[in-house]
Amino acid sequence: MDTFLAALFSGTSRGAIYALVALGLVIVWRGAGVVNFAQMGQAMFSTYIASTLIQNGNSYWVGFFVALFAGAALGALLDVLVMRPLSNKKKTELLSSESMRAAIPVIASLGILGVLQALAGIIWAAEERGFPAPAAQEGFTVAGSVMPFTSFDVFVISIVLITLTMTTIFFKKTGVGLAMRATALNQEVARLSGIRTNFTRTLSWAISGAASSLAGLLITPTSNLSPNTLDLVLIIGFTAAVVGGLDSPAGAVLGGFIVGLVISFVTFYLSPEDVFISILAVLLIVLIVKPRGILGGKDSRRV
Amino acid sequence: MLKIENLTTSFGSVIALDGVSMTAQESKITTVIGANGAGKSTLLRTISGLESPSAGSITWDGRSIVGLKPEDIVRAGIAHVPEGHAVISELSVEENINMGSLFRRRSHKSDVAASLDEMYQLFPRLQERRKQLAGTLSGGERQMLAISRALVSRPKLLLLDEPSLGLAPLVVEQIIDCVNTLCRSTGLTVLLVEQNANTALGVADHGVLLALGKVVADRPAAELKADSSLRAAYLGY
Repeated sequence: MDTFLAALFSGTSRGAIYALVALGLVIVWRGAGVVNFAQMGQAMFSTYIASTLIQNGNSYWVGFFVALFAGAALGALLDVLVMRPLSNKKKTELLSSESMRAAIPVIASLGILGVLQALAGIIWAAEERGFPAPAAQEGFTVAGSVMPFTSFDVFVISIVLITLTMTTIFFKKTGVGLAMRATALNQEVARLSGIRTNFTRTLSWAISGAASSLAGLLITPTSNLSPNTLDLVLIIGFTAAVVGGLDSPAGAVLGGFIVGLVISFVTFYLSPEDVFISILAVLLIVLIVKPRGILGGKDSRRV
Repeated sequence: MLKIENLTTSFGSVIALDGVSMTAQESKITTVIGANGAGKSTLLRTISGLESPSAGSITWDGRSIVGLKPEDIVRAGIAHVPEGHAVISELSVEENINMGSLFRRRSHKSDVAASLDEMYQLFPRLQERRKQLAGTLSGGERQMLAISRALVSRPKLLLLDEPSLGLAPLVVEQIIDCVNTLCRSTGLTVLLVEQNANTALGVADHGVLLALGKVVADRPAAELKADSSLRAAYLGY
């Protein structure tokens, strides 16, 4: 029973973080048509900024909020400086096939990832460092026995749930949210409706940047920080997004929790070495049964 | 008034519009008719900024709009309802309508709410279905929705691309009647592209006949409708 609870709690807490990563990927995929492989590179970069601020005597929360802001700013900057010029039709006429045009931004995102990791190595040195948690990482003690659940887990789950709720309200209830959904679904109709799609696209990069920075801040206390630590998180988050449905923000969140729980139960009941094979199995089963993910749409788009 | 001079638009080596000159008079319905591939849709898409012309000019209210982005052309008072009942299926009916007035939300808050109600009065069926996804609507309802989405931007010029496409004759009549009433009662200028020449000429004041990207006739609609030789040569009936 104890093992079961421990697996459940740690899986939920990890799953919450993967849900954030997957959500970030889905927002940029839907909003800008790009699978952004640089996402966790951006998160790594802003987590380093937080780490530096905290090491220089600022409070955790200063580092936390500056990192979120830096993540958003970096996302927006990448869209304006790299992605927007690349999607300019006139300039990419040389590579005029539709599939090439879709591939270019993805390859560019891999390039950005490399640049960010190299820059982080140069600025902060490539060795691992710790990153603080804002809450205790020891299990609660109830009636003399230590529970498999820490205050940090509570912090992670609640902050992720708050973020997910806020994101949902933003997309469903605000005008800007509607503009972003419209741009993601049908750019031509959105433009004819007067929506400035360049702006909404940049905004998706910014929101995704902030979400993945939050994921970075929440995962590094348990995994340490180095230029490459978050690579694995991206792969797991990407799997989560595909499992849930790359088109669906709700699916991304669901996928995140599923993958988090699978990892945790496999780690506790089998062995940590079996984690990847089991994620792969989940991915394969979902792709065979529902090729567009659990909550993915019916009609195929772009794929 | 919309004034188009020598407009040329091409896709690679294919010339879709070849030196088109025409005007759309204020508060009148002008229809552009012609066979499939005559360049009718390209004409509307070039006016609304979705395609950029290689030559020629488009003047709206005395200023050139060539080179403006679609989102700025809407702000200048030109709303385009593209071919194929262009609504966003995954959004609700109400969201589709509201999308068209998003850019006016800050400056004209009360008017935005009023314009939504106006659309529901114009098309009561849409109000019944306002929470439904647009993808669940019938073809006719979708066309009404696409027109509503355009009208809430408070345009002075409405570009309508084949509103009759794929609709039952009764529904076509209803939609055309509605556009006619709007034009006559509110002074809206309409540029109506149609393959269904008879219906279009029946309601329009002026008609322009396009063939292979060129204007072959530009006359009052009634005159064009009566010209059986033009009809036989270019429209095939």
